[in-house]
Amino acid sequence: MILMQKYIVRRLLEVIPILLFISIVIFIILNAMPGDALLQMRMENPRSFANDPEALDRLRAHYGLDQPVYVRYGVWLGKMLQGDMGYSSTYRVPVLNLLRSRIPNTLILTVTAWLIGLVVALPIGIYSAIKKYSVFDFMATGFAFVGISLPHFWFALMAIIIFSVHLGWLPISGMSSYGVTGTWDVFIDRFRHLILPACILGFVQVAYWVRYIRTALIEVMNMDYIRTAYSKGITRKKVIFKHALKNALIPIITILALDIPYFFGGAVIVETVFSWPGMGRLMYQAVLGSDHNLAINCLIFLALVTLMSNLMADFLYAFVDPRIRYN
Amino acid sequence: MPGTKKIKTDEPVHIATYWQLVWRQFRKHKLALIGGIIFLFLILFTVIGPFLVPHQYGDMNFMAIFAPPLTEEHPLGTNELGQDVLVRVMFGGRISLLVGFLAAGLSVSIGTTVGLLSGFFGGKVDRVLMRLVDVMLSIPMFPVLLTLTLVFGSGLRNVIVVLTLFGWMGVARLVRGTVLSLRETEYVQAAWALGARNSGIILRHIFPNVLPIIIVSATLNISFAILAESSLSYLGLGIQPPTPSWGNMLQNSLNYMLGTAQGVSPWWLTFFPGFFIFLTVLNINFLGDGLRDALDPKVMKK
Repeated sequence: MILMQKYIVRRLLEVIPILLFISIVIFIILNAMPGDALLQMRMENPRSFANDPEALDRLRAHYGLDQPVYVRYGVWLGKMLQGDMGYSSTYRVPVLNLLRSRIPNTLILTVTAWLIGLVVALPIGIYSAIKKYSVFDFMATGFAFVGISLPHFWFALMAIIIFSVHLGWLPISGMSSYGVTGTWDVFIDRFRHLILPACILGFVQVAYWVRYIRTALIEVMNMDYIRTAYSKGITRKKVIFKHALKNALIPIITILALDIPYFFGGAVIVETVFSWPGMGRLMYQAVLGSDHNLAINCLIFLALVTLMSNLMADFLYAFVDPRIRYN
Repeated sequence: MPGTKKIKTDEPVHIATYWQLVWRQFRKHKLALIGGIIFLFLILFTVIGPFLVPHQYGDMNFMAIFAPPLTEEHPLGTNELGQDVLVRVMFGGRISLLVGFLAAGLSVSIGTTVGLLSGFFGGKVDRVLMRLVDVMLSIPMFPVLLTLTLVFGSGLRNVIVVLTLFGWMGVARLVRGTVLSLRETEYVQAAWALGARNSGIILRHIFPNVLPIIIVSATLNISFAILAESSLSYLGLGIQPPTPSWGNMLQNSLNYMLGTAQGVSPWWLTFFPGFFIFLTVLNINFLGDGLRDALDPKVMKK
């Protein structure tokens, strides 16, 4: 157990330099981008800048934008470490407030999608592994190939056209409708908005997971101890659920954790298509609007999610599988 | 001698080469075979297709805007400028496939080089390169992809560069893993003992054995690149209009998705470009699956 704790602490400490490296890369990339917050300001208020040509330089000095990149990075990092994320130049509110309101929305979307993926993929994957080469298995494989090959956004657009425009069953976009009151009505309204984006985000992952769960279970079913269990006269049901599934769960859990970043990556597209007010759309708009402060924080948040889910996968793996050595 | 069969010496003995075995195996995989044929057909469709259609992708016809599919002269309908959707899909396919092939080719070359060096030399080289791979993999790909295309500016060349930058790590890891085990095989050790140069060993003995992995990765990389390009173009950061690409055609269709001033909802503008992305990627994936089985010597023995 001490060994395990050491391993966890070491891996957690490793995240820090990687995160620093990523922040440097992102900082440099964003600074190489044409345009900054001041140009945005000038565009919005051209007359006052025309009267005072030096205003731009003064403002640039005021915000420290005339400094070289590494100085600005140092200043930014210092503030960041004190918990100061700065202001968003497009929304004109502290970045922290924006993140605080957007992160829950993204979590609702991604967690629902993840759960949908799990609930759909697990039975299909298990059943097609048990009934290997059956019609069901063949269809599940075909379904998985289709899912892997579908472009997220096209699938989303077609779903909107069919379910929202033509059939009118579900709302076209957004997270809630205006003027809906009452706890129950609000809940239903939110739910109706959530269905399409969450299903689409989950569906693509289902395709990967079905394949993966099937392979993992088939691999275990070929093991000697499964044959032994059968030969002891244990029922098929018990062998599959008690012996096989338990061991197949190790790689399955790992992939479930490792794939978390894909949900956040996919959320960028899905949120943009459905105008879902989450982190993905916020990031996209921040980058498009050269809102550097906001963009860098969004990107670092996404990097942190990626790093953390990788770590979680490793920990789970080490925790569930006693054969793993921690070094 | 009695009892021994007479061997006909005048008939040359046919020994199947590796590639003949691969083809034999691949042929058995019906889905992959069909996938390969459809993929070839799609390439022909995009390359030769535009010559067979009496329109150019920029030709406008304001007498026939939003013509639904199956109208005369426009089998897939027209868009808001009366441009023929079929010819635009063909042209868009050229761009998408070009991006797919080039980005996959470049990223597989980089990945292979890194993997060979890392696996063969081991030690410090390996540690540095694999750390780089780890860090690259932990960067949230899509957001950074998006940011990079914004920085470098969109357009064909930059999209390919950016996709290459994020496409090589998987191949590098796979190749490295294989090289690590190949390095310990007897024939490589023997070559070493005989005093072969490093470059000779890598090129003559190791590279041919990682080729199957490289081919499979390349096909899967093509489908990744096509999907990624279409996503970027869809967000307005990939190939810029008026050059049509499957992604930017989809983006354009957004404006009319909820219905037009003329009261039509032109679903065909959204459906066809996306359907061709899907068809291409699906068949490349089938092809890749078949190649994976066919190129694996372990499967061949069966």
